[in-house]
Amino acid sequence: MDQIALGFSELLQPAVLMMLTIGVFAGLVVGSIPGVNDNIAFAVFIPFSFNLPAEQALALMVGIYCAAAAGGAIPAIMIRVPGTASALLTTINGNAMARKGQAGQALSIAMVSSVVGGLLSALVLLVFAPALAKVALRFGYVENAALTILGLSSVVGLLSGNVLKGVISAMLGLLISTIGYSQVTGYPRYTFGSINLIEGIPFVPMLVGLFGVAAVFDLLRDQAQERRENTEAEKLPEIGSMRLGRRLIRRLIPTWLTSAAIGNFIGVLPGAGMLMAIYIAYDQAGRRFRKHFAGRKGEANWDEGAPEGIAAPEAANNAVTASSMVPLLSLGIPGNSTSALFIGAMALHGLVPGPLLFTQHADIAWMIMVAFLACNIIMGPAAYIVIRTVSRVIFSIPKNVMVGVIVLLCLLGAYSDGNNLFNIWVALGAGAVAYLMKIANIPLGPAILGLVLGGQMEASIANSLSISRGDWLVFVDPVNHPISAVMLLAALLMWVAPALRGLRHMRANRFAKGQRS
Amino acid sequence: MLKSLLLGAVLGTSLIASASAQDYPTQDIDLVVPFDPGGSVDVTSRLLAEAANKYLDGVSVVVSNRAGGGGVVGQSFVSKAKPDGYTVLAMTSSVVTNPQLKGAPYNIEDFTPVAAYNLDPEVIAIPASSPFQTIDDFVAATKDRPLNITVAGIGTSHHMAGLALTSAAGLEFNYIPANGFGEQLQAVVGGHADGAFWPMGEAMVHAEAGTVRILAIASDARDPNFPDVPTFEEAGLNIPIWATFRGWAVPAGTSDDTVSFLSDLLKKVFEDDTYQEKMAAAGFDPIYRDAANFQSIITAYSNQVVPIIEDNGLAK
Repeated sequence: MDQIALGFSELLQPAVLMMLTIGVFAGLVVGSIPGVNDNIAFAVFIPFSFNLPAEQALALMVGIYCAAAAGGAIPAIMIRVPGTASALLTTINGNAMARKGQAGQALSIAMVSSVVGGLLSALVLLVFAPALAKVALRFGYVENAALTILGLSSVVGLLSGNVLKGVISAMLGLLISTIGYSQVTGYPRYTFGSINLIEGIPFVPMLVGLFGVAAVFDLLRDQAQERRENTEAEKLPEIGSMRLGRRLIRRLIPTWLTSAAIGNFIGVLPGAGMLMAIYIAYDQAGRRFRKHFAGRKGEANWDEGAPEGIAAPEAANNAVTASSMVPLLSLGIPGNSTSALFIGAMALHGLVPGPLLFTQHADIAWMIMVAFLACNIIMGPAAYIVIRTVSRVIFSIPKNVMVGVIVLLCLLGAYSDGNNLFNIWVALGAGAVAYLMKIANIPLGPAILGLVLGGQMEASIANSLSISRGDWLVFVDPVNHPISAVMLLAALLMWVAPALRGLRHMRANRFAKGQRS
Repeated sequence: MLKSLLLGAVLGTSLIASASAQDYPTQDIDLVVPFDPGGSVDVTSRLLAEAANKYLDGVSVVVSNRAGGGGVVGQSFVSKAKPDGYTVLAMTSSVVTNPQLKGAPYNIEDFTPVAAYNLDPEVIAIPASSPFQTIDDFVAATKDRPLNITVAGIGTSHHMAGLALTSAAGLEFNYIPANGFGEQLQAVVGGHADGAFWPMGEAMVHAEAGTVRILAIASDARDPNFPDVPTFEEAGLNIPIWATFRGWAVPAGTSDDTVSFLSDLLKKVFEDDTYQEKMAAAGFDPIYRDAANFQSIITAYSNQVVPIIEDNGLAK
């Protein structure tokens, strides 16, 4: 308790609190700009942070990190372009709601879900960090391999209908993830002699392309179609009322809790990352929705404006933020690529994350912990203000102007990750591929999970086998690796359950046909 | 006639040379960090630049990150830059091995070393919970079965430190390559690997925190912070020094005056108390080796690793 008080006394200095608030607003704005994400914002900010006192610099980074994960939902809902990769799934139901004139509602659900997910995650960080860090340590090579398989399997639930196209997409992602340096052999492969590909296709520009640039192509096609058919251009949705009914809130509570739990769990595990969390949460919420609400009167279909489809990914992605600091602060092991950037920012101020931080710089360590709590509290009203002012102005810009601006921002964002011109080609290329996949009706989700998880999957399977001296049974060893065995079983269920359901469906159909004849 | 012409030419060139020495630096110096912001090379470069700017008049050292290709993109950029002293590379040991291991399009001769500011000796680290208490326990265990050792990557200087131990002392290891230090730390602290080969700079804080134990250090003297940890030589491992280095280099062809200006600048930085404190706090041991000294460090490192690369068939 004393330590929490110490953290608050450090945080409540006017300058530090101001930096946190600035960070929250900046994060919301950065998050809501397609093509710019928290990774890029940090890369730009870290050099400046050098001139700030450590506590102010870190408060600002905490604010940006938390709020960017929430801000990404704003353009996702308004124009179907995710502001950050973490809002990728929010686009589906969010934009569908907005087109029905419920943009304000959708934005409210997104923001409330973010705050709920973020607060729960901050509490977990504050109260359970030491215990959870021990859980994170149980994850070795074998467990990580199983985790990547579980993560990739979560995509099965998203494949409405065409499993084959989903598998093709996942394979494509996995194949592309093999480009570049192979962790197993230490050699670059499939680089075609380009030094830019030694470490693989640069990841941040690729994400910018897949989400930002591809979405722009989509908007352009809409516009071309409107012009051809001479129809009135569809206006961007009005934001409208942001009030959430009490019944809706009560209905979303279970989704918030499950998604936040998923986000917290995934966040604590080093190397799993935000995208895996949103996919698993979205999949879970979809199951719940189909069971309880689908087909009822006045209910939208899943993927066509279901409130759970916004609440789940938004609660999950903000639950990842604070919990990804659990292994970082308590062990010095970053939970994902963004929290890894905290290491650099801290090192500039002579701080090294890890157990010693809490003895040598207890004030700063606890300040970071409580800052996550505080910034999620600030985020609610801040999001309201941003949506009511900045977003309202931005989304009154004509669509065709906005398309140009987004393209520029995407290319700028891609370039600023490493200041390499090659990144711009990556963004454009990835955008074109994602757009072609959309035309061919191949889902993008499995490819992205394959890209995100491919490298880790390959390395952790190879390393597990290296340790087991080639014994594949190591993955299902219930004595030494029970976590892996359970996760693989869960992954298996994710594949089998829909197949069984399909089988039952088929039999029922045949039965009905039989009766008729 | 010819004599006076020659004299004139010599005088002229020396005049130009001295003029250019006075003229340098007239604009900001780009310190190219071939990695993303926040890594160890970036952090040390920023600490250096901050201190260096105190000693520069009207111009400054500006850190610019040119990440990609595991450092190769930025390194190639500097190798092709104009040798005017305004493009400086934050040089690491990987410059020596990248042409062979990653097919980097430059040679080590394309760079002129300026000065070294940090040497990071290799250590053998194991989990705090490991049954090995001393380096002798560790060595004895490798004779039973190859130990699982996590390293920063196949072909890195840390992997090669292990290969060197195999040829010098007959220890056998099973290497588990990792992507980044965090992944290795998780494997060691969680007990998923038997140990790791790490640079002291990264291992130090975790050893001080008691989550890992350092068994031996590949340096010519014991580390004052760990007086009980023997050197590799003392432990009978037959490797006097194994260290990665960090320093400044400029494109080959840069004038000697410019190189010595930059080298002197780093010397002033090294003697700066605030810089010393900040480097130590961030976990780096500040040193200073002038251009000639740095060249011999590079040559020694090259002589150490090139045979290992060739003997183990690591070259691309």
